[in-house]
Amino acid sequence: MASSRRRGRARITISLLLLSAVLLLTLDSRGSGPVQSARSAVLSVLSPLGSAASTVVSPFRNAWNSAFDQGNLKQENETLREENDRLKGDITANSIAKQQLQQLLQLVGIPFVGDTPVVHTRVVSGAVGNFGDRLELDKGSNAGIERNMPVVTGEGLIGKVIEVSENRCVVSLLSSGTFRVGFSVVGTAAIGIAQGSGGDGSLRGTNIDSRLAVAVGAITATSGLAGSPFPPNLPIGTVTAVRTNEAALESTVDISMFANLNNLVYADVVLWKPAG
Amino acid sequence: MNHPALRYVIVIATAAFLQYTVITQFRIAGVSADLLLVIAIAAGMIGGAERGAIVGFASGLCLDLMVTTPFGLCAISGLVAGVVAGLLEDATVHSARWLTMVIAFVASSAGILSFAIAGTLLGRPDLLSGHVLTILAIVGITSAALVFPALRACRWADPEDALLRAAAR
Repeated sequence: MASSRRRGRARITISLLLLSAVLLLTLDSRGSGPVQSARSAVLSVLSPLGSAASTVVSPFRNAWNSAFDQGNLKQENETLREENDRLKGDITANSIAKQQLQQLLQLVGIPFVGDTPVVHTRVVSGAVGNFGDRLELDKGSNAGIERNMPVVTGEGLIGKVIEVSENRCVVSLLSSGTFRVGFSVVGTAAIGIAQGSGGDGSLRGTNIDSRLAVAVGAITATSGLAGSPFPPNLPIGTVTAVRTNEAALESTVDISMFANLNNLVYADVVLWKPAG
Repeated sequence: MNHPALRYVIVIATAAFLQYTVITQFRIAGVSADLLLVIAIAAGMIGGAERGAIVGFASGLCLDLMVTTPFGLCAISGLVAGVVAGLLEDATVHSARWLTMVIAFVASSAGILSFAIAGTLLGRPDLLSGHVLTILAIVGITSAALVFPALRACRWADPEDALLRAAAR
């Protein structure tokens, strides 16, 4: 009797907690202010501790990383030797190609960040959980950083700011799939919407008019169309595959991001806000 | 200080601090252990499904404050892990270390799967990608290894409940 009463009470407690979780999810999906404020407050409190701990445990972390990469090191070493030889030969060709790329970007009007001011930041930590790609940077609202500002490296767009405290900000990576970005294919009139697939630096571009030719290898950049949270012409990546659905008059593309998201050390926050 | 709720607050706060500062620095294939999930599992094994649900919900909310995924997803994950651990512990006839580890593995897998599925239902299909299998394996194994110190912490937090349930078995 007592056991069944206890089981009944447990069911009610679990149901109430589940309902509370659903309520919190609903509030968060509607952009509830208290949730954002609470996360920013926690970020402010924990960030200095995280930086200090990162410094203290770095020797152990390096040893850990070496231990778990040991199996791959020999193979990686051989591969790197071969690659090194090949790259020596490619250096000359690449320097010419780089010059050509710079000229091409200028010709098609991609000034990258241009005159827009940026804040140079250092990456202080990566993700806390196992889901959702994020980075923590060592500058915050004191440096003029606000939510939704784009974040770039020297290679291109990597994400946008989603949390800000006085001296820290959190960046959601474009590859995480948590937000979408409007893009244009350089040299064509094609535009579309790109979203990460939750893995490495690969994106899926959709909503492209199939009547417009998009070639593999084409460069993509932010479109900056009205209402876009990103300024125009921030390089995103190159098209690696194109699929066309003639019936739907729509093409989808795979995009490989220019920016290497592994082991990021520095990133720039572009102090840009959409007009209006 | 002697009240179990207060002690559980201390346990969860300590686990959150360790998760943020130390545990996340040590990753295998980009995945780290989930100390807060382990606390939920240990609480479920010590105090039953209801206790596991409450502690799992609280520890999940704590983790929700530190991540960027929808607020409440980690709470669901912790809740499910705590409940599953409590139910499995109740269903086992005898106690053995390997069985405790298996329960921790299964409960953490249930928690992670509930996170990924709830996230997908909320419009985040990326959470249910192939990477989930890696997360399941690594978090499951680390949970199985970390469950013993977590059980000690939960026994400290709620000594009476731990003794009562041990006597009832």
